[in-house]
Amino acid sequence: MSLPEHLQATFSPDEIQFIVENEPIRIFPRITTRQSVRSRHRDQITQAKCTLITSDDHNVNQMVAMQSTELPLWLALLLKQQNKCSIVAPRWLTLQSLDQSISFEKKNSDRFSSLPWNWLVLAQLLFGKAPDDFHDPVHELRSRIQDLREVRQLKVLRGLRELNESHLQLDNLSLLEINELRPFIVGTMDKLRQIHTATNPESQPHAQAQLTQQDLDEPPY
Amino acid sequence: MGYYDIDDVLADSVEFPCKFQYFLPGLGYLEGNPGKPIEKNCRLDLPLWLARILAIVGGDEEGQEDEEALPFVELLRPEMFSPKVVNAIKAGASDLDLHTINAHFYSLAVKWITLFGDEELAGVVSEMVLERSLEMNGHASSVAVQAAGVEAQSSLIGSPFLITMDESEKQLYRLAHDSYKRTKKWIIQT
Repeated sequence: MSLPEHLQATFSPDEIQFIVENEPIRIFPRITTRQSVRSRHRDQITQAKCTLITSDDHNVNQMVAMQSTELPLWLALLLKQQNKCSIVAPRWLTLQSLDQSISFEKKNSDRFSSLPWNWLVLAQLLFGKAPDDFHDPVHELRSRIQDLREVRQLKVLRGLRELNESHLQLDNLSLLEINELRPFIVGTMDKLRQIHTATNPESQPHAQAQLTQQDLDEPPY
Repeated sequence: MGYYDIDDVLADSVEFPCKFQYFLPGLGYLEGNPGKPIEKNCRLDLPLWLARILAIVGGDEEGQEDEEALPFVELLRPEMFSPKVVNAIKAGASDLDLHTINAHFYSLAVKWITLFGDEELAGVVSEMVLERSLEMNGHASSVAVQAAGVEAQSSLIGSPFLITMDESEKQLYRLAHDSYKRTKKWIIQT
């Protein structure tokens, strides 16, 4: 088909990264794009202005060096690459708050700590592209993130025992974690549902919707 | 299970034991001797696509219009859903060699359950799906990492469990393993 098979029912990790890169993040610019009133009056040297259609370009044109502002992550990474800004790590990405999350994970074996939906992707991106902007040593942050990931994976593994034909509640599971589990969980629950509907076709609340889906698969005679 | 689903077509060609409930002239080729009739109570293995229809529709014998017509064939319980297999599933689903019992076990089980409303079998099979899925997830999520990146190889070559998976499990395994692999690859690269 026109869409490759491995993308038909899920996102690739790169697409997840793309989604996360649309989030705003706080930066310290090292350049000034705000035009002073005086230079505006002279209006001979017109500075190039940034006009964006997918995000707000107001902040981009009002940057003052070392005055923190918010930009979309993709733009921040581009500026960071050219040494034109430094990125402020989000508040949850410090040793202290990561330690808190880890201890929460260990204390509550039945739920996930409330990290943002993009924690894993954002951490990986910032460790890779802006390792010099953290107050805490990056290798320790990295190992905390790794710890968190492993604790949560263990919980996921335990949670998979509860797979059933109707539903599953996964509070606070992040997008990348959901995405890597999606094919397995959806596939297994689909099988369970098929067996369940085979015995009692009426009890299924979505029986109607499934019927129409099947009708689509069937060729018109 | 769509019309063009190749696995479904293959599953539909698996033969089931049937008993004919009519004397039918001309259909002897099903038995392997064309030109001859099929006797009543003759036992035959028919592919499911044929057996399923014949087990539903019936010829009306003279004067039976009020009663529900007896279908052409009666489907007999096949070996793969026999008590022996069911007991083996209950004993330990993840150690079972499902591929040898039947390569399309799940889709056939679903078809069988749909035909007969067999709730007991449904319970047993759902338990098995869950238990074997967990085992499969364990194999799928173990991604070997090498210095150059992520290798395609998962668990040990010829890991005994992988050989025992039926076709739908293999498909799911491949999907799940690919997903874990891609994620790990991304994490290592960035």
